[in-house]
Amino acid sequence: MLPASLDEAVDALAAAPAAVPVAGATDLMEAVNAGRLRPAALVGLGRITELRGWRYEDGGTAVLGAGLTHARMDRPDFAALIPALADAARTAGPPQVRNVGTLGGNIVTAAPAGDTLPVLTALEATVTLARAGASREVPVSHLLTGLDPVRPGELLTWVRVPLLHAPQVFLKATGRSGPARATASVALVLDPARRSVRCAVGAVAPVPLRPLEAEAWVAGCIDWDGSREIDPAANAAFGEYVATACVPDNYGAEGAWEAVTEGPTAAAVRLRRTVAVLARRALGRALK
Amino acid sequence: MTTDPIETLDADPLGLSPQVSRELRPCASYTLRVNGFERPVTDAWIGESLLYVLRERLGLAGAKDGCEQGECGACSVQVDGQLVAGCLVPAALAADSEINTVEGLSAAGGASDVQQALAASGAVQCGYCTPGMAMAVHDLLQRNHRPTEVEARQALCGNLCRCTGYKGVLAAVQTVADARALEAEEPEEAAAPVEAAPGPEAADRPVEAVAGAAGAAVEPESVVEPPVYTDADAWIEHVPQQHVPQHSVPQHSVEPQPQPGAAHPGMPQSVLPHPAEQAHVPAGAPYGDGSGGYDTGVYETAGPVPPHAGIPAQAGGDQVYYPPQGYPEQPYQGTPAHGTYLPYPDGHQQQNGYDTGYDAPVYEPTPAHGTPLPGAAFDGTAFDGTPPHGTPYAAQHPHGAPVEGGAPAGVPYGATPAHGIRLPEDDHAS
Repeated sequence: MLPASLDEAVDALAAAPAAVPVAGATDLMEAVNAGRLRPAALVGLGRITELRGWRYEDGGTAVLGAGLTHARMDRPDFAALIPALADAARTAGPPQVRNVGTLGGNIVTAAPAGDTLPVLTALEATVTLARAGASREVPVSHLLTGLDPVRPGELLTWVRVPLLHAPQVFLKATGRSGPARATASVALVLDPARRSVRCAVGAVAPVPLRPLEAEAWVAGCIDWDGSREIDPAANAAFGEYVATACVPDNYGAEGAWEAVTEGPTAAAVRLRRTVAVLARRALGRALK
Repeated sequence: MTTDPIETLDADPLGLSPQVSRELRPCASYTLRVNGFERPVTDAWIGESLLYVLRERLGLAGAKDGCEQGECGACSVQVDGQLVAGCLVPAALAADSEINTVEGLSAAGGASDVQQALAASGAVQCGYCTPGMAMAVHDLLQRNHRPTEVEARQALCGNLCRCTGYKGVLAAVQTVADARALEAEEPEEAAAPVEAAPGPEAADRPVEAVAGAAGAAVEPESVVEPPVYTDADAWIEHVPQQHVPQHSVPQHSVEPQPQPGAAHPGMPQSVLPHPAEQAHVPAGAPYGDGSGGYDTGVYETAGPVPPHAGIPAQAGGDQVYYPPQGYPEQPYQGTPAHGTYLPYPDGHQQQNGYDTGYDAPVYEPTPAHGTPLPGAAFDGTAFDGTPPHGTPYAAQHPHGAPVEGGAPAGVPYGATPAHGIRLPEDDHAS
């Protein structure tokens, strides 16, 4: 089933709540090919052209269509708008996947290593969920944590992202030099209007994590009115702060006996080092 | 209820009635536009990937099934002009889209320039990744006529190759880009040879023009049936005549090339020229001069060598015996191992003291892997071959100055790369 407009798609989903809405299908078909999913019906969203672009809204907000592909987000015009999201889209996978994989699909799949998720979390984006005759706005963090999940018959249509007009950085550590899943990723955005730093760490937990205390602390270390510089020692401490906040001591521990031993596990130490370097570099690049 | 074998196969292990099976296995019928031809697909499970439908239902086995996760790129096809992983596209949702597969690259009757360049630059070993590579290179050169090496690497980063490596593919990208740039500069000179011999530039030409030039008596208006790509089962049915000695140079065969076999008798008329016509074209004619459609495996040498007495006379006067590969240049001087021939100074050979009557072929220096054979075999591709296996490439950067620190040249609009590269400002802490 290939509806050509948003209304048709929402009506089709209302008629068949068991149907799976499909945009790029890269995550869906991986599950289908592996035998983990047998869809009762598919509602293809690829023909809905209104969801494949973005528009501006009053109050300095960009409204991104859920059907924006990663390849489209990688293009320079979009990168001038939301650079961290463009960086995340560029490293999200090989061209074959980025050509079809969409922003909305990345959010709905909510994979732990989803590359756009820490960026959207750091930007404090909200998503619009539409169903027949109604729609509602949900913060993306509530959606990802399951606080306010997608209900049957609902379709993720728009992603509302504030335009901050400030440096944004997305950094990602992978196991190889080519496109790969992140072992850890850090998205960091500056919000000069509110004099705050917002940071999210992805791929170390099922959902992106926000080190709120570290953010508040480092925002006080930055000279916002002047050259926006930070002491290198404070920057390094910020990295350690973020890593300690996001990686628990018993990270990777298999049994209960390991959890009660003294100090962090070896896996935790290793991952903390990765996250600390990523966070330190991200802040250094943002304040460059 | 239909009783097609796939339905039966799927229903039986589950032990379900057909009605329950139908509910668990929703099906759809649709039409795919593959390489410009309408291909109906009836009663297919909606979870079937485009790769599965192309291979198993439509018989287009060019795209390969590697990982089914979008990691390997062996299944790369173009959907609406965009390179996608065929295994990650639900075929039912690709209806009404324009699908281009690797078979479409060689639809004109011969391998396209991309495929020829891949073969000529030694980018093919086991060949499993090659259809995906060919589609990725084709897609890259459609979008970017002069890709830098970084851009080529980024475009090919989704195609894994585990035996040959990527240098040959990158060389092929530059070969094709250079050849197309040269052709674009000299359109009037390139136009004349195209009429006589469909060369690498024939890939972009209409099917009927090339088919007519290649001698296939197929009227353009009559080409309404989907083309038969003689790569799947056609050549199994018909064992072709043996034109080439068994121990001759192996064919540098790209997977999607039409195999030299006749069309399946039950299949409709092919738009490809008859394989026998391709295989027997003497040197100098289309397909024989290296710039022609594809490599028939028939090579010329500088001087004719008399054929081995034990081998039947070769069809075609221009075909000559070619010395076997892989033998040492110098005859073995020590004690022969069991069963080996002991070469004698007069060129005669004996085995275990008996004269075999075997006239030793003239030993020539065997070409290294990937180098062009002596003679005029590869002169038409304007590519002088890759260096021998293991030899480092030329020191000069082929696409201008190498990148010296900072953001790589392939990162557009001066953004910071997301990973992997340290910037100077990263060092100002610790």
